[in-house]
Amino acid sequence: MYLPKREDTDDIKKLLSSLVSRSKAITALLISREGICISKAGNVETLNSTALAALVAGMFAATREVANIVGEEQFSILLQQGEKRHIHISLIGQRNMMIVVFEDYRKIGRVRHEARTIGPDLVRILEGREKSQKDDAEDISVPEFREFALNLIDRIFVVGKEEDASS
Amino acid sequence: MPHLDPTEKQIVFKIVYFGPGMSGKTTNLRYIHKVLTNKYKGEMLVLDTEKERTLFFDFFPVSLGTIQGYSLKFHLYTIPGQIFYEASRKILLVGAEGVVFVADSSADRLRDNTEMFMAMNENLRSQGIDPSSFPVVLQYNKRDCNPRLSIGEIERELGLENIPVTESIAIEGKGVMKTLQVISKEIISRFQIS
Repeated sequence: MYLPKREDTDDIKKLLSSLVSRSKAITALLISREGICISKAGNVETLNSTALAALVAGMFAATREVANIVGEEQFSILLQQGEKRHIHISLIGQRNMMIVVFEDYRKIGRVRHEARTIGPDLVRILEGREKSQKDDAEDISVPEFREFALNLIDRIFVVGKEEDASS
Repeated sequence: MPHLDPTEKQIVFKIVYFGPGMSGKTTNLRYIHKVLTNKYKGEMLVLDTEKERTLFFDFFPVSLGTIQGYSLKFHLYTIPGQIFYEASRKILLVGAEGVVFVADSSADRLRDNTEMFMAMNENLRSQGIDPSSFPVVLQYNKRDCNPRLSIGEIERELGLENIPVTESIAIEGKGVMKTLQVISKEIISRFQIS
């Protein structure tokens, strides 16, 4: 199981916050290639980060396939330009992506620069925490977790008699 | 491997609804989204064509509750079933902890089901996953159609043993929650910290 250390996650948040602050972006998110939000900074209240992460991960993966078709291994940056808001997406290592949402398109150079600047630090933290995952997992009791989870499944994914479709 | 985040305090498992075109994958997800109360579900994303065929995927998150301080979540995805979306299917299996294989019970779709199942296994193998030890539930959907496949036909054709099987009429909601329950339990039962 992949379990990051709290201090690593705090460091990631600090890096994202510094990017948001220096580039005057609205928000920055770090997501996994599986589409899960790892960390976020800036104005995150108005964005559905769960949906955004799932969509961008799918989009990026699709773009990698496009890259292969045209003879590239992958495209490391994606830019989506809108009327008022724009999105800069960059690959962080092989397993993660950073999404920066910003409004002033004249700041694109700054966004790109800041993303490039913190990229290596993010990679270093993410690689480090993968190595230490076993030590970090000690605060979870797996048998207990399983038991509670199975109870929640029984309680919430309710199966009524009328739902039986056995032939 | 599930994703666990100590800052957000969440643990997330990804479930993918796989299967041939028009077998009822999106119908499963729509029903689940309809019956779950708001506190357990997030917004459903549907990326489809004008004819309501899945173009990329459908998705929504389910939050079951908190265990040992962590929010337990399932992310439910469908894949596009049409034959020419193979690249998308491969992408969507990345990071999955379990699959519901939604088979079409129509008697004339045995080959579509088995070919898609074999393609799924090939995709899993390409990610270094052994399909024989990966949580998969085989859902025979459209049990109201005639003539229909007998339970066991798909398993026999594919040489599958001990795969959990459910029956459903997803359009009426029958068997949908049962299937979700079975795959969730399969995933949780295998959950471990290595």
